[in-house]
Amino acid sequence: MTPAATEPDDDNSVKMMDYFMQLEYREPLCPVVRRYADQLLEGRLIGHQCPSCGLVYLPPRGYCPICVVETTDADETVLSDRGTVTNYTVVTPVQYYGQHETEPFVRASVTLDGGNATMNLQDLVDVPVDEVRVGMRVAAVWKPKGERSVADISNRSWGSAEGCIDGWRPTGEPDAPAEQFLGKATF
Amino acid sequence: MDDIAIIGYAQSPSQRRAELTEPQFLFPVISEAIERANVERRDIGFTCAGSCDYLSGQTFAFVMNLEAVGAWPPISESHVEMDGAWALYEAWVRLQHGDIDVALAFGSGKSSPGDPSEIYPLQLDPYTLTPLGADPVSMAALQARAMLDKGTITEQEMAEIAVRSRTNAANNPYAQVRGSGDVDTLLREPYVTAPLRRHDLPPISDGASAVVLATADKARAVCERPVWIRGIDHRIEPHQPGMRDLTESISTRQAGRHAGIDHGPVEVAELSATFSHQEKLLREALGLGDEVQVNPSGGALAANPVMAVGLARIAEAARAISERGVSRALAHATSGQCLQQNLVCVLEGA
Amino acid sequence: MTTHTIEFPYTRTLGPVIGPFLTGLRDGHVLGVRNRDGRVLVPPLEWDPATGEAIDVDFVEVGPAGTVETWAWVTEPTRKHPLDHPFAFALIRLDGADTALLHAVDAGSMDRMRTGMRVVARWKDERAGHITDLSFVPEEAA
Ligand SMILES: [Zn+2]
Repeated sequence: MTPAATEPDDDNSVKMMDYFMQLEYREPLCPVVRRYADQLLEGRLIGHQCPSCGLVYLPPRGYCPICVVETTDADETVLSDRGTVTNYTVVTPVQYYGQHETEPFVRASVTLDGGNATMNLQDLVDVPVDEVRVGMRVAAVWKPKGERSVADISNRSWGSAEGCIDGWRPTGEPDAPAEQFLGKATF
Repeated sequence: MDDIAIIGYAQSPSQRRAELTEPQFLFPVISEAIERANVERRDIGFTCAGSCDYLSGQTFAFVMNLEAVGAWPPISESHVEMDGAWALYEAWVRLQHGDIDVALAFGSGKSSPGDPSEIYPLQLDPYTLTPLGADPVSMAALQARAMLDKGTITEQEMAEIAVRSRTNAANNPYAQVRGSGDVDTLLREPYVTAPLRRHDLPPISDGASAVVLATADKARAVCERPVWIRGIDHRIEPHQPGMRDLTESISTRQAGRHAGIDHGPVEVAELSATFSHQEKLLREALGLGDEVQVNPSGGALAANPVMAVGLARIAEAARAISERGVSRALAHATSGQCLQQNLVCVLEGA
Repeated sequence: MTTHTIEFPYTRTLGPVIGPFLTGLRDGHVLGVRNRDGRVLVPPLEWDPATGEAIDVDFVEVGPAGTVETWAWVTEPTRKHPLDHPFAFALIRLDGADTALLHAVDAGSMDRMRTGMRVVARWKDERAGHITDLSFVPEEAA
């Protein structure tokens, strides 16, 4: 339906308003995450293993939310930097504000060898998007020692190893059987 | 309405800058409240939290706070983007259904990472107020000036309120700003935002509080001295500051009346007077005479863990009854700028 | 210390009341709206805050001068404030209005502020239809 002739067609009135919201936050790393960051700089991945249920949290949180028990340095465990892709998604980027990626990319969950510790939202390197699969064996690609930075490590678990690990590269080993990972939640 | 009782409560110490994360400092507070309530975590039929994602600087930050509760296997829970006092209100309503007998309310906030003067304008009208950067100190200063002009308070009285808060806070292990300075010294300080000086403002605080509620039968079964919620109500005024009388708190008066404060004498009042002049305004709105002990904890001027401070007032009023032998107390919480929204809770012992 | 920034670029639709209000600001005048009792609300609202009744949109031009009802002197403006030097936030009852508008008064110094003083709108040259298209100055300075 077209507007009546007497109504001004788009009349140049103000109909929208932009507001650019920007807030800055500064906070110290909490002790357990600070220790995690220090260890990352040394090339070690550490977690806390719940003394009650055995789940491993990486980065450590200082508690197990499943059992509601606190965890401490005594529960610290050094983890392998090799593991298996246990879940993944392919993101086709939409160019919203703040999205810097332009091509489809993978975010993978990597369950580390020797336990149940899982790192989520990890980058995979040197592997085409359509070749990623659950069960794929991968190893961390550490930055050289002098180039590591923990500036992006936060209390909020964002960028869990960013600045120290470039991503995870396929090792070429035979896949681990996918069935043991499918349908399971990771934390 | 069925009688509901407070059977456990806990607070964290307020800190200018907590080293721990919000879930980390919440963790022992919730555990302590449950322990003091003499119930098991699995007895809790409903949980309600109050917190603010803008304070935390992360969307859905409130979900992380549930890690301090224990949400596995899944629990029945809810969240208010308000002070924990409103979480308690929701839990109180939930208990009225009668199908559960224990509920947990908590509030938490970590104000230190952000800048309150930039965060709080975002709670205001996004067309006419947020773009002006209308910060809480400036808004409170408009209210204080209106009271000074009307002659309902003096700068001297404001300083006296601040000194009394700090003096009272000397005995409160959770407080952050404790007794120092006399009125004359404080009045020689420069204005921060005239007519407000530093002592008229609350501190920036990180902290948490938690309260466990129970139905009457359950409370009597597990608790030697339950603190009964005899009335609770909250009311709100128009949002635009220029469309309200800032020198009165009509919503507090209404909430107080509906909560039944005049059904008996009030011995202790814990008020969320975040700025010094607001204490006088609230006293007047609630009809509190000189015989009422106001903010024996030091109140919000001594510790202002935003989103936990109102629930902490309820916890302090409950503490006065269960630990200090007070028979009737009231607690007040507020939300929005210049006391826009107010909650009043009346508590009694046996 | 870790630092992080969050950013949300909001674009809001304005509707039948705030739209004309901000259009008015762009065009250099301030609009209020009349409620059923004949009181003029500024800023205009879609509902009467006293009764909750929908307001029949009846715009009234108010100001551009008005009277300061209360004020606060901002010594150190934040980066979100409308002026980058000390100023007063004030509740201003514009001539012809029955409520007060929150805005900034560029008075130069606190000594020049007092309750009951007269102020007048000072318009920006480049206006976008935004509440900061104007601020206020003491009338004697205009
Ligand atoms: Zn566990």
